[in-house]
Amino acid sequence: MCKKMNEALEFLRDKYGFPAGEIVANGKQYMLRFADGSCCPLLPWRVERRFVELKKIIDGQTLENVSTFRFAHFSAEKTLPELLAAELDLMSFLGDSPITSVFSVCSGEVSSNSLVRLANGMSGSVECGCKLPAGKSDIDRHEIIAARGVASDRVADTQVPQESIYMWNEAGETCFTDVDTELFGLPNNEIWVVRAAYAVLSDNSLVEKWIAAEKAMYAAVNAALDSNKTSQPVILG
Amino acid sequence: MKPLKIAMMGMTHGHTRKYYQTLRENQKLDWVASCAEDQAAKDVYELYKNGVPCYLDPQEMLAKHPDIEAIVIASANDRHYEQMKFCAERGIHILSMKIPTFDMDEYDRMIEMVDKAGIVCQIELEMHYNPVVKRLQQIIKSGELGKLLSIQATNITLSPVWAFPWQGVPEASYGKRVPLANGDHRFRGGALCDHPHIFDMVRWLTGADFDYVFAQAAPNLRKELEVEDMLMAAGKLTDGTAFLFDPSWSRLEERLKVPGPGWEIFPKRMEVNFTITGEKGMIQCDCFGPNVYHNGAPNDRLTVQYTYFDEWIGLIDEFVDCVRNGKQPKINLKWHRHTIECMNACYESISCGKTAIVKK
Repeated sequence: MCKKMNEALEFLRDKYGFPAGEIVANGKQYMLRFADGSCCPLLPWRVERRFVELKKIIDGQTLENVSTFRFAHFSAEKTLPELLAAELDLMSFLGDSPITSVFSVCSGEVSSNSLVRLANGMSGSVECGCKLPAGKSDIDRHEIIAARGVASDRVADTQVPQESIYMWNEAGETCFTDVDTELFGLPNNEIWVVRAAYAVLSDNSLVEKWIAAEKAMYAAVNAALDSNKTSQPVILG
Repeated sequence: MKPLKIAMMGMTHGHTRKYYQTLRENQKLDWVASCAEDQAAKDVYELYKNGVPCYLDPQEMLAKHPDIEAIVIASANDRHYEQMKFCAERGIHILSMKIPTFDMDEYDRMIEMVDKAGIVCQIELEMHYNPVVKRLQQIIKSGELGKLLSIQATNITLSPVWAFPWQGVPEASYGKRVPLANGDHRFRGGALCDHPHIFDMVRWLTGADFDYVFAQAAPNLRKELEVEDMLMAAGKLTDGTAFLFDPSWSRLEERLKVPGPGWEIFPKRMEVNFTITGEKGMIQCDCFGPNVYHNGAPNDRLTVQYTYFDEWIGLIDEFVDCVRNGKQPKINLKWHRHTIECMNACYESISCGKTAIVKK
């Protein structure tokens, strides 16, 4: 898996002229290893186009006075901690503020409902679940509610993600959502890993930020799991 | 590979600003200069702070930058012939906007001078570098749909005329003032001239050419315009595939002088969708979706904020490859001629109220 991603990264590095680096697997997460052996964790959701645009909508004041994030993510393949990690980091990234408290109620290792507070006062909820049937693509939703405007990655009056292409033939229904011409052929989850590695190679200041973000992300996940055990909110940092 | 020394010329076309990022970032290019049509175009160019010098006289630009190898001609349609001639006479490669000209004699002279100069002339039809279109082409080529029977396609947008006024001037857009039909106060040069993509794409998807077309204009949404803003076309390809196209400016807009946030009134300001039926199944395709959505500033209206991949990256990559390696671009003048013939046939059909055979 890393071989194809590294070939894709090599293609981008050659085209745009950035220093060497290699994507390496670290459990189910990925890291970028530099030529000197040092590593940077990759946070691929931070470079996913929809989240880049949502961040622009917040940072550019298209939304004014953000109040609440409503996130949901359901998966067939990912574990609860994996889902929580990505969603909690995403909330902190979009809100541009660290997480200060988490309250979570889990149902075993299958689902969790969390309430989150950011240091800047913004509030958020994260719904996670792992009971989608095998082979089903993830279903997620990210809604940002502000005093001026609401933004979302889901179309108004719909419940599930849309696709770019729907094909119906004797084999049934097949859907496609292709997001990157330069990396066409890689699965989308791998495209975002390569783009994350490329982002770090092209902007060295991300190394320190992403190392700190990963640490905070896992602290927040642990806080969520601890909160479930105590039925009390867990204060961070 | 030595970076290609490239310049832009005109700077009045609606797509001008879409080149800026890729011209700056692609290591295969060295964007050395720009030349605006007039001071107004230069003023808008300066707003984007590209850090690339902008001239008002192409001769002066070339005198200051004699190593320019290629030029993006980003101007009104009626300026293309003169600007292509300027480039061809100097052996400068050309990246042309999507409509070289609607005058087929002039079009043939363009082909002749490009051939004589031995330069690359690529037509900007950026949809080819859209990843969704790439997938669509792959699916159809795989035969999973069988032989195609019918294609419906939309290429609908807001009208850019308030920011790019030449698109509402028949002479500048169509090349001359031709009434849409007897008794119709409007002239050729509106929405149809802005939307060649679906005419081009259907040829790529089927491998066939146009046989005949019937087109009709609807009452304008924008009463001030003297060009058409609403029309549809239906017809048949040479392989029997039926088609229905909507190339209208059917999405209303705020009348901004410079495109920016709040331009759209309808949430999605640009759409290219295909519905394709084949002998073995069918497809629905949105080339610019899904996206993200908001109802924030400046107008508090539901708005689509696009997330699609920058098509200009692939377009420029192909252009550089063609120049450096002596290749013919996919969308070259000769290939594109039949697409323009079909668009002209649409105008003929609107004019006479009958089906028009598309010349080849």
